[in-house]
Amino acid sequence: MSAFTLSVNGKRHVVDADSDMPLLWALRDFLRLTGTKYGCGMGVCGACTVHEDGEPVRSCQIPLSATAGKEYVTIEGLSAEGDHPCQTAWLVEDVSQCGYCQAGMIMQAAALILRNPSPTDTDIDAGLSDHICRCGTYQRMRRAIRRAASTVRKT
Amino acid sequence: MRATRRSFLKTTAFAGTGLLLCLELPRLMADEPGVFEPNAYISITQDNVVRLWITRSEMGQGVHTTLAMMLAEELEVDWSQIQYEQAMPGGRFKGIRLRTSGSGSTVGTYNALRKAGATAREMLIAAAAEKWNVDAGSCRAQQGTVVHLATGRKLTFGELVAGAERQKVPDNPPLKAPKDFRVIGTPLERIDGRGIVTGQAVYGIDVRVPGMLYAVMARCPFIGGKVASFDATKALAVPGVRHILPVNSGLAIGVAVVADYTWAALKGRDTLKVQWDPGPNAGFDSDHFLSQMVDQLAKRQPGYFVRDDGDARTALDGAAKKIEATYEFPFQAHAPLETMNCVADVRKSSCEIWAPTQCPEVAQSETAKMLGMPEDSVKVHVTLVGGGFGRRLFADYVPEAVEVSRAIGKPVQMLWTRSDDMRCGFYHPSDVEHIVGGLDRDGRPIAWVQRSIGSNLSIFGFPTEKQQKNLRFYFNDGSPWGSFDNPYNFPNLKADFIPLNSPVPTGPWRAVEYPPTVFARESFLDEMAHAAGKDPLEFRLHLLEPGDVLKVGDAKIDRSRLIRVLQVAAEKSAWKHPLAHTEDRLWGRGVACNVYDEDCFIAQVAEVSVGRQSHDIRVHRIVCVSDCGIVVNPLGLEGQTESGITWGLSATLHGKIDFKSGAAVQENFQDFEVLRIDEAPAVETHIVVTDHPPGGFGETGVPPVAPSVANAIFAATGKRIRSLPITPGKLKAVG
Repeated sequence: MSAFTLSVNGKRHVVDADSDMPLLWALRDFLRLTGTKYGCGMGVCGACTVHEDGEPVRSCQIPLSATAGKEYVTIEGLSAEGDHPCQTAWLVEDVSQCGYCQAGMIMQAAALILRNPSPTDTDIDAGLSDHICRCGTYQRMRRAIRRAASTVRKT
Repeated sequence: MRATRRSFLKTTAFAGTGLLLCLELPRLMADEPGVFEPNAYISITQDNVVRLWITRSEMGQGVHTTLAMMLAEELEVDWSQIQYEQAMPGGRFKGIRLRTSGSGSTVGTYNALRKAGATAREMLIAAAAEKWNVDAGSCRAQQGTVVHLATGRKLTFGELVAGAERQKVPDNPPLKAPKDFRVIGTPLERIDGRGIVTGQAVYGIDVRVPGMLYAVMARCPFIGGKVASFDATKALAVPGVRHILPVNSGLAIGVAVVADYTWAALKGRDTLKVQWDPGPNAGFDSDHFLSQMVDQLAKRQPGYFVRDDGDARTALDGAAKKIEATYEFPFQAHAPLETMNCVADVRKSSCEIWAPTQCPEVAQSETAKMLGMPEDSVKVHVTLVGGGFGRRLFADYVPEAVEVSRAIGKPVQMLWTRSDDMRCGFYHPSDVEHIVGGLDRDGRPIAWVQRSIGSNLSIFGFPTEKQQKNLRFYFNDGSPWGSFDNPYNFPNLKADFIPLNSPVPTGPWRAVEYPPTVFARESFLDEMAHAAGKDPLEFRLHLLEPGDVLKVGDAKIDRSRLIRVLQVAAEKSAWKHPLAHTEDRLWGRGVACNVYDEDCFIAQVAEVSVGRQSHDIRVHRIVCVSDCGIVVNPLGLEGQTESGITWGLSATLHGKIDFKSGAAVQENFQDFEVLRIDEAPAVETHIVVTDHPPGGFGETGVPPVAPSVANAIFAATGKRIRSLPITPGKLKAVG
């Protein structure tokens, strides 16, 4: 057990835990940020996606020992008012069904449109193909990402 | 009570609950002054807050929104004024069904919720009329107010609370005519979407109770196996691990590791040494089981009666052309993205449960039984459900959490890992379908003989003792769905069923019994059409003439509605204009249709291409046409269409569970693959609007997917694949 300083959503937290504990469980069980979800535990479903220094990463694959000096953003910190262009587009396009995978999807999509503000459906498919939505909201997700990207282009 | 198909869908109970009426509207004794609560579903406060209780679990099908829409329609409340609450078993919902299953949420609540809304509306109107001393008939409820039409006087619902409480509850409040609907039929976004996209929504796995510990379990991977011995020494030394104890009350038995946080529990489980006794099924192999089912076909044995119209055997003997085929369906996992979990807090004389469940009544009654407490002492909170698909109709993950909480005297969250979820749950049974068809000299279909062979294909546990004594009894149960309610007009049609049980725990999966039977039926119709030299879609239309109502068992199937959706599908998919092959790919279209529980009519046309060399399969577009009567939320129906198609494609192209040496082989999404966005086709949803009562749509989209894709692959390549999943390897093997 050691103390780790985690920077999440602009705040610093000290977590006293094992160095091999994945960031996912620190977020969920210690910081009570439960918006980041457990899905597979091996980085193949994308439900636990957060931003590490702006890049989407699988928090179930990042041990606390690798978090030093990094800035993390979770779904709770993506926007102050829940109005990130992806969040807004997700509501307008009524994407969510069970909703469990959606935080991971939105975090991935937010990073995608920042890098590529004019994504084609092929770009969107390539960018999100490491994620799973068991409800199958893929068609609406494509629409929402195109909508969010167009919002970003206008601002 | 006999568990018939309709009772499963509409009213009855499952896994040990009693019959729950869904039309009951008990008057509540208002325990809070200043709150108008004419029935269990509605409460309105003096500060004009309208709360609507949702009596189904939200697992992605949109019930929070749909059920609120039905209440709001009759209540005449402003949509933005509504707050929703999740119903809990017992208390104000005693006697009201909360179980969510069989695409029955809309069907099962449509009348009750509208009546509940209308009741409240009439009492509010009566209160206003009393206050103004005018005739109630001169007042109207609109947008959360009551208006006196002649004078324009207006009072909000909140202002009428005190008066409304005193009014007599009307027995039969008038319901609105569908032409006057303002909410029902309007495309509305999810009422609970914001919580999901901001990470604030609470699923079972997100529940955090003061003093709660976190548990996982080493689960016996062998079906019917048990713990021979375990050594907890090392696991107890893992920092954060508090307790290690054997658990016997769930489906899977094993050893629980309880810790201060999830990661410690997982690490403890990794270091725990458990010797398993694989039990009596250690030799079970699903490939062998499949060949056993196929072997049954060679035996001339009578099956359990499903359908017997005309004289199919004689007709087949006299047929000019006879074809036959065998179709195979593997075991399937549900694999919802939120794994099973439950928080239990057992106290001395009460218990509180938080669970993502489709059956809170079962969770309550099973827990009460286990703890020897009255049901009223067990409080069950239904959280948001991260995918149900039938898996959460079983409450097996509740008692194990209860057992652990009782043993350690603290609230505990029991979490299943992905591997636990995939290897230790319930499965859609593997099944074999064999069909023989006869055509006359002119290529007209004259006979159909279908035999289903399966392991507990019937979700009700088959055969019952009564059924064993009387083969014909099975008819009345209406199973297997899809074979029993075959909608086509064959003059001679025989269907039967041979049970071959496996030790695998099986249960309802999305679309319950339809997926294997409809895969076979709609594939074989295609084979018959080709054998007759007819167009497969025309062939179906011909077989549905004259568009009459088929009465079979307790089901009535209006063939004209199926004809209509097929015709629209033909038009929207440009069926008459075949797709051209390209340099490296072969292209084709396939059609399939189905009737889900007599209420929902659906036709799909799939557009597929197959690599000439690579044999890879791409599904480009699916046109889906449905008629499920009055549509409460068209936006929701469109979403469920896309969802059902994705689910169907996962099973068509990827998913299956194998069992070797008595244990499931697949462990996670890398070996149990599901459809991802880069394989998701364009889906075109077309709704045929009719004024029939609403049918449910959570599962309807699934069954036609596999056969429409298989038929499209045949159209493209001339290769017929009769076992799921359809893989490039299987296509290559055909040559």
